[in-house]
Amino acid sequence: MEHLLQFYAIYGSVINFIGINALMALSLNVTLSAGMLSLGNAAFAAIGGYTAGILSLHFKLPYVVSLAGGTFAAGLVGLVIGLPVLRLRGVFLAMATLAFGEMVRLAAVNLNVTGGAEGLTGIPNVTTTWMIYLVLAAAAYFLAVLRRSRLGWGLISIREDETAAGSLGIRITYYKVVAFVIGAMLAGLAGGMYAHLNYLITPRDYGFFIAVDLLIYNIVGGIGVWYGPILGAVMLTALPEVLRGIGVTAGPIRLGINGLILLLVILFLPNGLASLFSRRQRSDAKVEAG
Amino acid sequence: MSILLQQLINGLFIGSVYGLFAVGYTLVFGVLDMLNLAHAAIFTLGGLIALWLVENAGLSIWLAFPVATIVAGVLGLLLNQVAFAPLRKRSDSQFSGLISSIAMAIIFEAGALGLFGARSVRFPVGTFAAHTWHIGGITITLLQIGIVCVAALLMVILTLFIGHARIGKAIRAVGESERAATLLGINVNGIIALTFFVSSALGGAAGILFGLYFNNLTPDMGRSIELKGLAVIILGGMGSVPGAILGGLAFGLSEVLTVAITGTSTLRDAVAFGVLFVILLIRPSGLLGRGKTREV
Amino acid sequence: MKLSVRTLIGVVTSVFLLAAIATPARATGIKIGFVFSMTGGAAVYGTSQKEGARLAIDQINAAAGSGLQIVPIFEDDASVPQQGTNVFNKLINGDKVSIIIGPTLSNTAKITDPIAQRAGVPVLAISNTISGITEIGDYIFRDSLTENVVIPHTVKIAKKKLGLKKVAILYGNDDAMTKATYEVFKKVLQSSGIQILGEQIFAKGDRDFSPQLTQIKSQNPDAIIVAALAEEASGIASQARQLGIPKTVRIIGGNGLNSPGLIKNAGDAAEGIIVGAAWNITSTSPLNVKFVNDYTKKYNHAPDQFAAQAYAGVQIVYQAAKASNGGADRKALRNALAKTKNLDTVLGRFSFTEGRDANHAGIVQEIKGGKFVVLGN
Repeated sequence: MEHLLQFYAIYGSVINFIGINALMALSLNVTLSAGMLSLGNAAFAAIGGYTAGILSLHFKLPYVVSLAGGTFAAGLVGLVIGLPVLRLRGVFLAMATLAFGEMVRLAAVNLNVTGGAEGLTGIPNVTTTWMIYLVLAAAAYFLAVLRRSRLGWGLISIREDETAAGSLGIRITYYKVVAFVIGAMLAGLAGGMYAHLNYLITPRDYGFFIAVDLLIYNIVGGIGVWYGPILGAVMLTALPEVLRGIGVTAGPIRLGINGLILLLVILFLPNGLASLFSRRQRSDAKVEAG
Repeated sequence: MSILLQQLINGLFIGSVYGLFAVGYTLVFGVLDMLNLAHAAIFTLGGLIALWLVENAGLSIWLAFPVATIVAGVLGLLLNQVAFAPLRKRSDSQFSGLISSIAMAIIFEAGALGLFGARSVRFPVGTFAAHTWHIGGITITLLQIGIVCVAALLMVILTLFIGHARIGKAIRAVGESERAATLLGINVNGIIALTFFVSSALGGAAGILFGLYFNNLTPDMGRSIELKGLAVIILGGMGSVPGAILGGLAFGLSEVLTVAITGTSTLRDAVAFGVLFVILLIRPSGLLGRGKTREV
Repeated sequence: MKLSVRTLIGVVTSVFLLAAIATPARATGIKIGFVFSMTGGAAVYGTSQKEGARLAIDQINAAAGSGLQIVPIFEDDASVPQQGTNVFNKLINGDKVSIIIGPTLSNTAKITDPIAQRAGVPVLAISNTISGITEIGDYIFRDSLTENVVIPHTVKIAKKKLGLKKVAILYGNDDAMTKATYEVFKKVLQSSGIQILGEQIFAKGDRDFSPQLTQIKSQNPDAIIVAALAEEASGIASQARQLGIPKTVRIIGGNGLNSPGLIKNAGDAAEGIIVGAAWNITSTSPLNVKFVNDYTKKYNHAPDQFAAQAYAGVQIVYQAAKASNGGADRKALRNALAKTKNLDTVLGRFSFTEGRDANHAGIVQEIKGGKFVVLGN
């Protein structure tokens, strides 16, 4: 027991961050499973985080209400942005969501209500580890259920072949928007919880590189299964600490290892680490030439 | 009036560097339908390698420039071999190519950090003759003129090459349809490798010019230009070389003018991304791109 | 090969536990945790700080012989508060350090220092210059002179020597430090009756300042106030001169510009820049001269303010450790720190104020002949 407490004292913050990152990775998974390369989830987390933070800080609303506010704000923006943007495909969608993300970050840097470059300070830190993991478990369960639902199959068929799916009567735009908004809301929730973890959030917490990180968690972990993104987030968030533990200090080596892992995974394990565990061969594993 | 003119000239210089960088990006996309996100890292390495050659190997910039450019091209070949070629057979090759280019970008940046350190460095004083002209309230330096000339020269050579040389036409053929090209007896793999070589060489050259112009090289200097480069090629039309050039110039000008008008550079980025966003919604094929947005 | 999820979890947890339980090298002495940004945006400063600290540690340990040794534990926070938090927790609960020196960035400090305060671990900040740091609690100390102290002095001297009447400001608004510098400058300028012709903004990582500088040139200021870090400042200076802004229009800046890197990168364009700073590189005090020489010999380049404040920080902590019986008791160490009075350091005679901030004279420097020289006193 003593050892466990000791472990938590040292690594408690890592465990918290893993949880939040996993939640964010899950939020991206919803859109990725539909084949949509949306990179805007860091921005939605920012919207959720800042909204929740402002509600807690300036309006003194209770934690759960602020979180809800953040989540819905993110979802609303997701709806408004999603409708026009989701007509785009592939790289174009990625660029548009990236551009959106940068605009959100710039707004956060320049507006007074968000505290500018210094960020929002003094948010009550009420998020605890069990809260994070409870929400994470609920989100994972929700996504697992979603995957088996009509919506879930619809999304997968859109990813496989959008045109064919359309001709089969699947309402593509509707499904895409729904997926996008769900992802936005999850990200907003994660952002809100993160804001209450550390008293302070800054625009840099939600920048372009975070968005890319989320993508990497999903790729490394595996898009096809619900625990893929979680696995990716766990591994990559914990990696710096593990490396630290075996004496690899920071610098080019750690950076290089990150890149190397990603490269190895994409070359040899295209379905991510999760494919090491999955027993049945995934029917949508893409390996053959098209 | 002279302020405006000065701002325009500034915009032109930075725009030509952007254009040179964007051309490399768009070349690979045009041929392979793949976005090479390691381009910015090669841009950085090009500049740093040129610096190393000048500082440590004592080469003059006129020699270091072509040498470093060729080294950058070789890095492009390496990039192709390791990260893109193995993935071409996959049906989701665009997506996985994107990811593996991100991975290589991280590895390249780690390499730059490891080899050159985190400090910002500059080309030694005297690398390029410092000569300034003041004409009616406007200032132009010899270096700026040199950069525009070199960038223009490279871009003209490239356009002629692609348009008229036999290999250039082969590149375009592969871009149209790999299968047809193979049937025509074109060595597709070789052409793709060549494309990467040229694209990365241009990217490296842009990095050297950028480093000379701003005299501030860091291992992460590619980051600032990465997003802009993407915006430029979307503006100009993915896959179109003249589009990239025009897009680069337009971008450089708009950047400079936004800052000039508003007095803050943070809005500059917001305007840039805002414009990008709008273009994507209205006309994703950009100014000179092909009509249909390509299928993923 | 199909692994089971259970195996994987087991492996990961074991690695963690091993890392947690594995004891570092045994040595008697005071354990000091150093949190610097060795990667990420602030890597340039973190590197300097580590070099300065390392020099101090090696010298102190060599001189101490069988006496009190420093046992350093260096950690990288990658310029992000997340990692800073992880590292603080590890140092406090895992390595059980007596005191933490750092972190590099003020924004990180705002999140990590409260952790130390709650755990009763003293922290010595060596590069945080914004307000709201020492206010976190009585275990938080700082040896880096804040802009609030440095800048009024700078403006006063500059006004006297140059007869400033109107200036233009160029500042970075997306970095807490440069923004704080700008705000202090603005307040001081206004209360000194100096007219502010205009304010231009840039972002961190910007390299092209010609749009802003072109505007500034047309406003014809007596001087340009630059709130930036050395990286951007060298670009600003070079481009300003390139655009034809005459050398008589001086560039005036705060702590961020106090770096030999500025001179190296801006070259001739750096001539005449006025820098208000905490550390005087040209000080002839024997301690400082020795520091500059030793540092340059060891690292092949001259030290900057970050290195100097790190070096002094180690000295200050060591003194307090000696005064509190080896520093093993964190509370006693904290009390000894607070009592530091007139300690001879490379920063000058050093004491802490009531609020645990740095209390020593700042300096106003000018770049002349490719070197920093003192401008007035």
